[in-house]
Formats: sequence, C-alpha cells, structure tokens
Amino acid sequence: MAPSEVSRGRTLLASVRLAVLQFLADPQWLVPSMIAPVVFGLVAYELFRGSGANFALYAVLGAGMMSMWGQTLYGSGWATGQDRELGTLEPTLSAPTPYLWVVMGRVVWNTVSGLIGGAIVYVVVVASYGRPLSVPNPVGFVLMFVFVIVTLAAVGIVFAAWYVYTRYAGFVQNVGEFAFYVGTGCMFPVILLPFWTNPVSLAFPPTLAVDALRYVSIPGYQGLSWGFWGDVAGALATTAVYLAVAGTVFHRVEKHVLETGNLSEW
Amino acid sequence: MSNGIAIETRGVHRSFSSRKGFLFNEVVATEALRGVDLQVPAGEIFGLLGPNGAGKTTLTKILATLLLPTSGQALVLGHNVATEALALRPKIGLVLGGERGLYNRISARENLRYFADLYGLPLARRTGRIDEVLARVGLSDAADRRVEEFSRGMKQKLHIARGILHEPRVLFLDEPTIGLDPKSARETRKLIRGLVAEGVTIFLTTHYMFEAEELCRQIAVLSKGRIVARDTVAGLRRLVGGDRTMELEAYGFEDAEIGRIKGMPGVSRLVAEEFGPRLRLTLRLRTNELLPDELLRQLPGHPELTIRERRTSLEDIYLDLVEEEAN
Repeated sequence: MAPSEVSRGRTLLASVRLAVLQFLADPQWLVPSMIAPVVFGLVAYELFRGSGANFALYAVLGAGMMSMWGQTLYGSGWATGQDRELGTLEPTLSAPTPYLWVVMGRVVWNTVSGLIGGAIVYVVVVASYGRPLSVPNPVGFVLMFVFVIVTLAAVGIVFAAWYVYTRYAGFVQNVGEFAFYVGTGCMFPVILLPFWTNPVSLAFPPTLAVDALRYVSIPGYQGLSWGFWGDVAGALATTAVYLAVAGTVFHRVEKHVLETGNLSEW
Repeated sequence: MSNGIAIETRGVHRSFSSRKGFLFNEVVATEALRGVDLQVPAGEIFGLLGPNGAGKTTLTKILATLLLPTSGQALVLGHNVATEALALRPKIGLVLGGERGLYNRISARENLRYFADLYGLPLARRTGRIDEVLARVGLSDAADRRVEEFSRGMKQKLHIARGILHEPRVLFLDEPTIGLDPKSARETRKLIRGLVAEGVTIFLTTHYMFEAEELCRQIAVLSKGRIVARDTVAGLRRLVGGDRTMELEAYGFEDAEIGRIKGMPGVSRLVAEEFGPRLRLTLRLRTNELLPDELLRQLPGHPELTIRERRTSLEDIYLDLVEEEAN
C-alpha cells in the first residue's frame, strides 16, 4: 500500500482535528478560551462605562479583540512551540507534507475558538449592560469581524514560523505580547497612542482591520485619518505581505532547521 | 545508486556549531561525522554500532531527511536526501523512540490517525491499517487510552507503530528496544525480522550487541564520526583477530609471562585489564592450535589461574575496534 500523494486539504483537516482533540483533552485551554474572555469583558465594561453611549460597543470590541488576539495569534505560534516541547516537531516534519499546512490547520481552529471567546465577551458585556447592543451596520460588522480574524491569522502564521526557527520564540513573544496588543489598537484606538508608535502599529495588519471594524460598528467614530476604505486597503495589503512572507519564511525555516539540527531542542 | 542498494553515502560530513560563554561567547564547531561512506543492501538489516556521541543518531537523521549533511552525498532508494526529501519521505519510516515525540493527551489511535493523514494513507485503508499496526506491536487493548498513561515500553511500541504505519520500504530504527522489558524486546526483534521478510530494509542503531548479532547481516562500527569497520559478524571477527577468545585470570602476571603468551601460536591480540586484585588477560585466537593445557604448562607459578574459553562476541569485537580508534 503506497501512500497516495498527500493533499494540502487533508493535511489541513488532520491538523484542525488534532487541534480540537488537544483542546478538548487539555483543561489549560479553558483559561484563555472560556475564562479569560469573561474577565476581559468585565474589565472592559468597567473601563468604558463612563465613555458615552457607545461604551458597551467599545467594551465588546476591545475585550473581544483581546480574547481573539490570544487565541488566534498567540495560540497558533504556541501550538508549534508545543510541538517542540513534546518532541513531535521532528516526526511531523519528517512526513511528506509541508509544515505550513499543519500550521494553517491550527490557525483555522484557533480562529474558531477565538470567535467563541468573542461571543463570550459579547454575552458578558450585554449581560452587564442590561440590554442588547445595536450595531448600525450588522453586515459590515460581521464582514469586518472576519477580516480582523484573517489579519490576526496572517500574523499568527508568521509567528508559527518563528517557533519552528528557534526554541526562544516563546520567550520573545511573551515579552512582546502586550506591547503588540496595545500597539495594534485592540483595546483602544491607536489614535490615542503617541505619534511615534504609529509606524510600528501600522506594520501589523490587525491595526488597520480593527480600526475599520470600529468605523462600521460605532456611529461617529473618528479613527485613522484615511478613513474606512483606507483602513481596508491598507489591511489587505499588509495581510498579503504577511501571507507572502509566511510562505517564503516557512520554506526557508524548514531548510534552516535541517541545517542547524535544532528541531529536537526545547 | 546501483541495483540492490537501498542506502548509499559518499563522504558525508556533518558539523554542528554551538556557543560557549555568556557575553563574549565564542562559536565552537563539533564534527559529528567525518566522511562516512556506506552501502546498505536492500532487504537486509544493517546494524550501526558506536559509543555515545559517535554520530549514529546524526547519520540516521541525515538519512531520514531530518538533517542536511554539511558536505558529501546521501542517497536512499535512489533519492538524494538533501534535494529530494519530499519524494523520499513517503517511502521511509523513522523510529527515534524515547519518552518524547508523541501527543500525550490523545489516544494511541488518534496519534496514528493524525500521522496516517500526514502520510496520505488511502482513506479506505486508514482504519484497518491502524488496527493492523496496533495489533502488530501489541497495543490493541490500549489503543483508545491516552498516551500519557502509557509506560515507556508502550510509548516505544507506539513509536514503532507510527514508523511502520505507511508501509515504508526503508525503516530507520534508533535503539528500538531501549526501555522495553525482555519479552517486549524479543517481540520487537521478531517484528523487525518479519518486516525484513516482507522486503523492508532496516537501518538499526543499537547499544545491545546481542541484538545486533542476532538481527544484522552486516554491521558497521562508527567511532568519532568515522566508520572504523564494516562487515558481517564473521568478517569482523576475522578483522579483530579470531573466532576464539580465551580469558586468563590470576593475581598478576610478570611482564615476561605476558610477552611469552603474546608470542604463542595463534594469539592475535592480548588485552590486559585489572579486576580488583586480579589481572585478566583476554586473548583473541586466530586458530585452534592453542589449548588451555598448553597455557597452564607455560604459567606454572599460578596455582590460582583460571582459564575460560568462549567464542568471540560482537561485544568483544566492538570494544576492540572502538579502543583501537581511541588509541
């Protein structure tokens, strides 16, 4: 029985399935996926309650983004780090399938669990607020919400390549996590940050996507000066760059780790 | 690659660099392999022996496409391991063993299913094949238990199951029986013989000499990154000086006595080792000329002398070769 040519779709599905099984089997995932969103929701509610009529929307968006950030971006990179820890990176890379598609599968699952986190935040804030939120443009809201996830996933894939590259990726990511989080405007708009931080913020696709999401969600929102369509175009462009970089980086990283032989290091 | 050869290496070198120190660190290069030339015939068990740090795992990982050689060429089933890895990987299996390398929180069956998908096993055969390999390594009853509940031996079996899941034509086994109880180790050796009977080429590294002697048709000894000998066990016996080994133990021997024994007919090698208050002389004998009675006659001043005769073991050969290389 010779194995048939391995399809990318099958690799992706297998990776999603494994991620789900590990999620269900490991109680530690309950914290970032179920408990953290409740805490984020309550904190955001308290932070924004005095900021006018749209405070609940701010709270949902801010805390929702924070939850999704952790799940979608951090989770994708960390899953590869876990492969290093378990020693499963070697057998996975010795299979006849590009590792990029294994990572893509994890990103898909982390995106879904990020959405669940976002939904939990919504429920917590609405329950605290006492009435349902009204979004002026529900279709635009949903589209932009998915768009934000795609941009987070693009960064997540690049982070995953980093985890394959070196065992120190987790250390650097832990140090930078909250700086990235604030810098991309997940909790509050980047326009509130000092000007000199803006170029750094704009290097990350979620910055513009989150701003675009606020434009369609919050009436009268004044975000970055180029407006909603400028945000969308910029986010699309930077996401495309990230995905292109991820494809190239993964290819190079796979070659690099075969040269250095550090796959089994943890 | 010529016909009938499954694995061939030509001048394979591999060096690693590491950093020493903290602030002003220096890069230290270590040469793990120093020009390895090998040919492994298809359908055989080939044993690679060597002390810790000799380069066995490095060579295995290069052949299994997990590491690139620094220079030289390695071909497996005609594929260059450096440039044709994706084409080669479905045809080879790798068992590195140990406690790591498995998804601990999911079951053995789920572990295998994941890798079955990564290797593109036909969907219609996937479930049947997983059951088959689980039965073959004796894990059918534990198939649906989480791997974290497994003993080390069970994990080792699961590693083997994963290695053979996609029916590879060449299987790399890095110390496959380490951590197994004697019964499981014997079953694993039986499994290895069964795979060879099915036409699989096995590349085996092991520290257990009896295992290599029992399983391998050809053996190579790797020491300090170089192949110091490669032959059948019988050929290696000839190389180190003979089929027969005699051990003499007494409370010390005079230098003149040792010189006399060395010069006796058939003695090809003599090694002296201290064992507490006693000295042991190990003789490799090329022929059957020298008999214990003759030795007793030559060493009259040793009433406590004991003489044991046995067949030269692979362990003797291995130690001779490694010691020679070290000197």
